[in-house]
Amino acid sequence: MTQSPAIEVDHLTKKYGNFTAVDDVSLSIEHGEIFGFLGPNGAGKSTTIRSILDLIRPTLGACRVLGLDSRTDAVEIRRQLGFLPADLALYPNLTGRRTIQYLANLRGGVDMARVDQLAQRFDADLDRKVGEYSSGNRQKVGLILAFMHNPRVVILDEPITGLDPLVQLEFHTLMREHVNAGNTVFLSSHTLSEVERVADRVGFIRRGHLIAVERMSELREKSLRRITLEFPQPVPASAFDGLEGVHDATAEGATVTARYEGAMGPLLAVATAHGVLSLSTASVDLDEIFLEFYKEDPAQDSAEGNAA
Amino acid sequence: MLRTVYLKSLRDRLLGVSVGVVALFLTAWMGLWAYSGVDGADTYLASMPDAFVDLLGITRESGTAGLMMSMMFSFMGAFVLGGLAVSIGASAIAGEERDGTMNVLATAPRSRARLHASKAAAYLTLVIVGSAAASASYWVAAQLVGADVGTLNLTAATVHLTVVMLVYGILAFAIGAATGNRATASGIATGLLIVSFLGAGLLPLVSGWENVAKIFPWYYIDGPSPLINGTNWAQIGILAAVCVALLVVGGIAFRRRDLQAGAAASSFADRLRANPRIAEVMDRVRGSGSTRGLVSKAISDKQGVALLAAYGLLLLTLLMGPMFNALAGSLGDVVASMPDAVLAMVGFADYSTPTGWYHGEVLSITGPAVFAIVTIGTGVALATEERKRTISVILGAPVSRLRIAASKLTALVMLTVLCGVLLFAGIWLGDLIGGLNMDVGNIVAAATLQAALGLVFGTVAFAVAGCSGRSNAAVWTATGVALAGWAINTFVTVNPELDWLAKISPFYWALHLHPLDNGMDWTALAVLTGASAVLAVAGLVGYGRRDLRG
Repeated sequence: MTQSPAIEVDHLTKKYGNFTAVDDVSLSIEHGEIFGFLGPNGAGKSTTIRSILDLIRPTLGACRVLGLDSRTDAVEIRRQLGFLPADLALYPNLTGRRTIQYLANLRGGVDMARVDQLAQRFDADLDRKVGEYSSGNRQKVGLILAFMHNPRVVILDEPITGLDPLVQLEFHTLMREHVNAGNTVFLSSHTLSEVERVADRVGFIRRGHLIAVERMSELREKSLRRITLEFPQPVPASAFDGLEGVHDATAEGATVTARYEGAMGPLLAVATAHGVLSLSTASVDLDEIFLEFYKEDPAQDSAEGNAA
Repeated sequence: MLRTVYLKSLRDRLLGVSVGVVALFLTAWMGLWAYSGVDGADTYLASMPDAFVDLLGITRESGTAGLMMSMMFSFMGAFVLGGLAVSIGASAIAGEERDGTMNVLATAPRSRARLHASKAAAYLTLVIVGSAAASASYWVAAQLVGADVGTLNLTAATVHLTVVMLVYGILAFAIGAATGNRATASGIATGLLIVSFLGAGLLPLVSGWENVAKIFPWYYIDGPSPLINGTNWAQIGILAAVCVALLVVGGIAFRRRDLQAGAAASSFADRLRANPRIAEVMDRVRGSGSTRGLVSKAISDKQGVALLAAYGLLLLTLLMGPMFNALAGSLGDVVASMPDAVLAMVGFADYSTPTGWYHGEVLSITGPAVFAIVTIGTGVALATEERKRTISVILGAPVSRLRIAASKLTALVMLTVLCGVLLFAGIWLGDLIGGLNMDVGNIVAAATLQAALGLVFGTVAFAVAGCSGRSNAAVWTATGVALAGWAINTFVTVNPELDWLAKISPFYWALHLHPLDNGMDWTALAVLTGASAVLAVAGLVGYGRRDLRG
């Protein structure tokens, strides 16, 4: 028997009156991967997550976690699942520790030693009231709640909100450790750099439609890189025209920028011939790919408009 | 003044004030209509003894319309307008801080003084216009029924009521402005409102204490009988000066202090808790915020309000015993000889017997009000988790929705029972101290029916919360049911021919057979608990079926 996917979203549609928040989205997330779920604000990320958690109910379609149905097996799913909601809200008059105790009691079987260990990793102060916390400290409590029971599946909605870079780094390390142990992380975000850094696969959602699911490594390979070359004197952009894998070369004074894919050999040969002084390459091009996905597609949008 | 702030503040509260005014109009209309159907009512009224007439705050000359108008100004209207005045006042400035919107408002290039003035102007407009509209609606109601109110000075009564309500409302407004804590502001003002109501109502009944009642602003709603005597400008001037002073002090404090941002606001209570001795007492009252499980957390969340309310009720009902002895002499047995029709007209409050005294003063209004505060607050908790968005965290744990809802329901039932037990204890102790010889079984029956009545209010809130997830809708529906139920039972039952209509009120079932005299009314208990059960099931089922909010 083959193992069920960690998370399966099966033709999910969620409508609010005439507004369709999520439209026929299907996803399958395997064990041991970090899946990045990217999309602009209001794209339907949280709606999808809240359907998986059975906080809201699909208009059409279904969600499954570890082969269990989100409607009929909600409690069993939540036993195996860690969840960090977007815009986390906690009880302001409880301390961080009491909050964790409360939810650990509800869950049962939580090892408080692991809580302490997580608190230490995130440098979280659990002895003050949640109401007095900064948003970053509140978020640390949320992360501890999501990971404290070593869940097989973790769903995180905008997890790095308010976290400082050091804690972000620790959190990314924790996520990687967690999936290396065979668990799964579903990471919803609109922060490109975060998903780029940690995700194994990424899904793009826009206006309720899932528009692409790509393996991160393939995206990287596909992506064009940008190179900036500095010369002792101005070099015409045309010197780089027609070279294999080089696109869009432009010259500005003694600086030439170009995008390229594949091997750098031919490009370097020409640059060396012109006495190149320095070169820098950037991997920011992934951002540009993401932004392409983010951008409105006028043709598609007008088609949707007509359909509505 | 900032016009946009003024207009927005008005718009935000217009609906609430309008609902209050419409509710008052409907109550006045219904009451006048019911009274007008009682044959010879005015004759009965004219035959009532002076002590009794005074006790009810009415005059013989104005007839049943006067009785109804007096009820509207000194009781129903006072509570509805007072509640609105305090809740709007407390939120005016502190509410913006609780919601975090003060950050946006206070960083606009406008001074805090102007912000305060704009909020104050909007507030005064709302309360004054609301109060005037309510009074105008009573006049309209009288015209619709054909009742004669020509001899009554409605304007003077409106002036007195409005200014008194402003004292409480502006107190809440000023505390909110000075501290930024909405809960503290509304808590202190509401507490003063309730103490004033009881003090101004009960102290005049005890010989030697009549003048002490005058320290309470509430006294000036009808103490000087403005419906008959017109406006007492000296009294109004003093009350208005108090309002102005409160506004000025609040405004100065608002300009000087740090503004709060959202949930991180430290409350007045937090500052008190800085003292370790006070902290110990407060933690004991408020509960330690139990985190053992859903039910214990749900109970401990409401423990503070419930204990204060229940022990307040215990103390009040306990004092009612000796108070009856102090006052029995002034009433004598004269009331006992009154015809039933007259007693019916004044809500069957036969104050000549201890059971009638307790029925009229505790069971008819104070008891249900305390139960309503506790049960509605607890019943709405399910929706509060959605409003505060904490439900997302709870439903990250492996608990079913049914278990969450059932836990909140269990907390509701347990706190209702707690209040019922303390109500019993209060009446029983009052009976022992006063030597009133009431039947203990009947006291148990009365407390049980009161608890069952309270549970109806709580389960209304629970059902609306469960089915909609909207905490405001739940609170206002349940409050509406309680107020409408009280009004129907109080005003419609004066006309025996309208008994069928009274039966839709839960108050009717809890009160109409006078449990302190006649013991348990099993039919009533079945009706009330049955209604609660149906509402509870509706809430549980509704909660399981819908999308959660937040």
